[in-house]
Amino acid sequence: MRIAFAGNPNSGKTTMFNALTGSNEKVGNWAGVTVDKKTGIIKKKFYSGGETLFAVDLPGAYSMSPFTAEESVTSTYIKKEAPDVIINIVDATNIARSLFFTTQLLELGVPVVVALNKSDINKKKETRIDTVALSGLLGCPVYTTVSSSAKLEGLKEVVGAAVALKGKEQKAPYTAEDGAPADLEAAKAADRKRFDFVNSIVEKVETRRQSSGEKNIHDKIDAVLTNKWAGIPIFAVVMFLVFQISQAWLGAWIAEGVEIGGREIPGLVTLIDAFKEWVAGSLSHANVFWAALLTEGIIGGVSAVVGFLPLVMVMYFLIALLEDCGYMARVSVVLDPIFKKVGLSGKSVIPFVVGTGCAVPGVMACRTIRSDRERRATAMLAPFMPCGAKLPIIGLFAGAFFGEASWVGTLMYFVGILIILLGALLVNKITGFKNKKSFFIIELPEYKVPSLWRAIKSMCQRGWSYVVKAGTVILLCNAVVYVMQSFTWGLKLVAEDAPETSILATVAGPIAILLIPIGVRAWEMAAAAVTGFIAKENVVGTLAVCYGISNLINTEELAMVEGADSAVAAAFGLTKAAALAYLMFNLFTPPCFAAIGAMNSEMKSAKWFWGGIGLQLAVGYTVAYAVYTVGTLITDPASLALLPAILGFAAVLGFAGVIVAIGVHNNKKAKEELAKKAL
Amino acid sequence: MDLTKAIEGKEYIVKDIDTGDSEMDSFLFSLGCYSGAPIRVITKRRSGFTVAIKDARYSIDVHLARAIRI
Repeated sequence: MRIAFAGNPNSGKTTMFNALTGSNEKVGNWAGVTVDKKTGIIKKKFYSGGETLFAVDLPGAYSMSPFTAEESVTSTYIKKEAPDVIINIVDATNIARSLFFTTQLLELGVPVVVALNKSDINKKKETRIDTVALSGLLGCPVYTTVSSSAKLEGLKEVVGAAVALKGKEQKAPYTAEDGAPADLEAAKAADRKRFDFVNSIVEKVETRRQSSGEKNIHDKIDAVLTNKWAGIPIFAVVMFLVFQISQAWLGAWIAEGVEIGGREIPGLVTLIDAFKEWVAGSLSHANVFWAALLTEGIIGGVSAVVGFLPLVMVMYFLIALLEDCGYMARVSVVLDPIFKKVGLSGKSVIPFVVGTGCAVPGVMACRTIRSDRERRATAMLAPFMPCGAKLPIIGLFAGAFFGEASWVGTLMYFVGILIILLGALLVNKITGFKNKKSFFIIELPEYKVPSLWRAIKSMCQRGWSYVVKAGTVILLCNAVVYVMQSFTWGLKLVAEDAPETSILATVAGPIAILLIPIGVRAWEMAAAAVTGFIAKENVVGTLAVCYGISNLINTEELAMVEGADSAVAAAFGLTKAAALAYLMFNLFTPPCFAAIGAMNSEMKSAKWFWGGIGLQLAVGYTVAYAVYTVGTLITDPASLALLPAILGFAAVLGFAGVIVAIGVHNNKKAKEELAKKAL
Repeated sequence: MDLTKAIEGKEYIVKDIDTGDSEMDSFLFSLGCYSGAPIRVITKRRSGFTVAIKDARYSIDVHLARAIRI
C-alpha cells in the first residue's frame, strides 16, 4: 500500500520520512527544502504484517490551491495518484495554520492520520493540545509524535493507524458548500468559513501558556542577527569562520597532520604518500609502464584529490550545522535589500549559500523562487559560488603560489559574490526587465540547537560521494589522461625529450592557444581545465598526473616536504598573476556537467540555458584575462606579451558586443510589448 | 492605515489585503493572513518587518507591508 506524507513546509515531514524509511534525504530548518516527491519503503520495525509499505515524501504545502511549484506537486499527487492513506504531519506548535490544510485533505476521500509533530517543543513551552478532543472533532486518528534526530516517539502508532485505515471511510468534519465556487469572491468566502471552522477547533483543544504574539527569546536573537548594521558583518564573519575552520584550521590539520604536545600526528596526506611509496616499492619488478600508470596515473591523481577530503568534509559539516539551526532564513532577510537592488530577492540567498557546498543542490534550491525570471537568473548565477569540489583547486594554487591559503580562499568567495551581484544586474539589463513590484515573505522558523548527529551524517554522506567520485570518475579520467600523455598517435611511448608529441598534448594544444591571453602557455593546463568539466576535482587530479606531483597540499608547518611549494610553482611554470588568473578561470567558467544538467532542468528554457552557459564562459574568461593583464602590469609590466594581450582584449570586447546586442534586442522587444499593451 | 504604521507589539485586525497579485493574496490567506484575522508587528527594521500571524513568525518587506491594511 502507498502512504503519502503531506503537511506544511518545515513541519518535519522529511525528518519523519527519513526515520521511517532509513533514507537520507536532505533536511534543513527552513521552509521548502523538499522540492521533489521522494519515495521509500517503510522499515519493518515500525509495523507488523507482511505488506510492503511505500512512503511518498511530498514537498510542503500550506493549502491545496497551488501557489508555488512545490505546492502544486503536492496537490497534483494527492488528487491524481490517490494514495491509500495520507499521513498528515502537523506542526504542533502552529495548529491554527496547519489544520486548514488538514481539513482540505480530509475532504479528498482518502483516509487521513494526523501526526502532531514537534510535540517536544510544545511540552517545553507548556502548550497543551487535547488530542482526544481533536481526534473527535476532525473525525480521524491523531497521534503526538517527535521525529527529531535524537528522539523518535509515536511513529509506530501513526504507521499502525495508517495500515488499519486502508480502505476505510472517514467522514469529513467540514465540507465546502456543494459544487465549485462560482467566482473568486465566493471561493474566498468559502475559505474564510473554513478558517473559522479551524479557529473554533483550535479554541477547543489548545491551551497556551505563552501567547505566541509576545516577544520571545527568538525575536531577541533575530533583532541582533537581522540588525540593519550588524546583520551583514555577522553573516560575513560566520562565512569567514566556515572557510577558516575548514581550510586553515581543523580541515588542514586532519589533512596535513598536527603537532600536539611535541608529538607529530600524521595527516591523511602523509598516510597516502606512504601508501603510494609502498605500492611503488612492491611493484619494483613489474613492467615500468604499468607500475607508473598505477602509481603516478591512478594513485597519484586520485590521492591528490582525496588529500583535500578533510577540508571538504569539515566544510560540509559546518554548512549542515548552519542549515539546521535556522540561520539561513535570517540570512535571506538580511541580504534581501541588497539582492532587490540587482533584481533578485532574499529567496536567492539560500541557493547561493547551499551552492558553497555543491552547485547541484544549490541550483535545485532555486525551485522555491516564484518568479520565472528570478529563478532562472539565480540558477544561472549559483554556480559562481565556489563549491566543495573547487576547494582543492583553490587549496592547490593558494598553497603553491601564495604561501598561505586563507586570503586567497576568502578572496575567491568574495569575487564569486561580486560576480553574482554584477551578473544579476547584467541579466536584468539584458532581459529588459522593468522594475516590477516583487514581494518578499519568508517564514522565520524558531532557532534550535543544531543536531551534531545530523551534521555528521550529512558530512559522511557528502564525503562518501566525494570518495566514490574520486574512485570512479576521477580515477578513470586520471588513467585516461595518463595513457593519453604517455602515448603518441602512433601508439608508441612518448620519448622523454618530446612530451609535446603525446596524444594529450596534440588534443589539448589548440585549446591551450585560447589560454595564452590569460598567461597560461601549457597544454597540460588546458587539459586540466577541460577535464574539470567532468568534475572540478579533476583539475587537481590531471595536474598531478601531468606534472607527476601527488602531494600538492601545502602549509607553512609542513612546507610541502622541504620547499616543495616552490617546486610545484616551478613545475607549473606560471607567474603569480597567471596562476591567479588560471585559478579564477577554473572557478568562474561553467560548472561541472552535473551542475549544468541541474541548471537545464531548473531553467526549463533553452534560450536561458544557453544564455547562462555563454555568460559563464564570458565571465570566466574576462575575469581571468583582467586578473592576468592587470596583475602583470603591476608586478612585471615588461613580461606582458603584446599580441596575446590585444587578442584577449578583442575577445572580451566581442563578449561585451554580443551581450549589448542581445540586450538592445530584448529591450526593444520589451518596449514593443509595452506599447502593444498600452494600445 | 497600512501595516508600516503599526505599533510594535500591538495586535491589529487586518481590514483588507491588496497586493494586486491574486496568487500572493491567496498565499497570505493560507498562512492565516486575511481580512478579519489578527496580525502583530514584532519588530520593525529599515527594510522590512517581522510579523506574527497565527503562531508563526514571518519576515516581510515594505512592499508587502504596504499592501496589508489594518
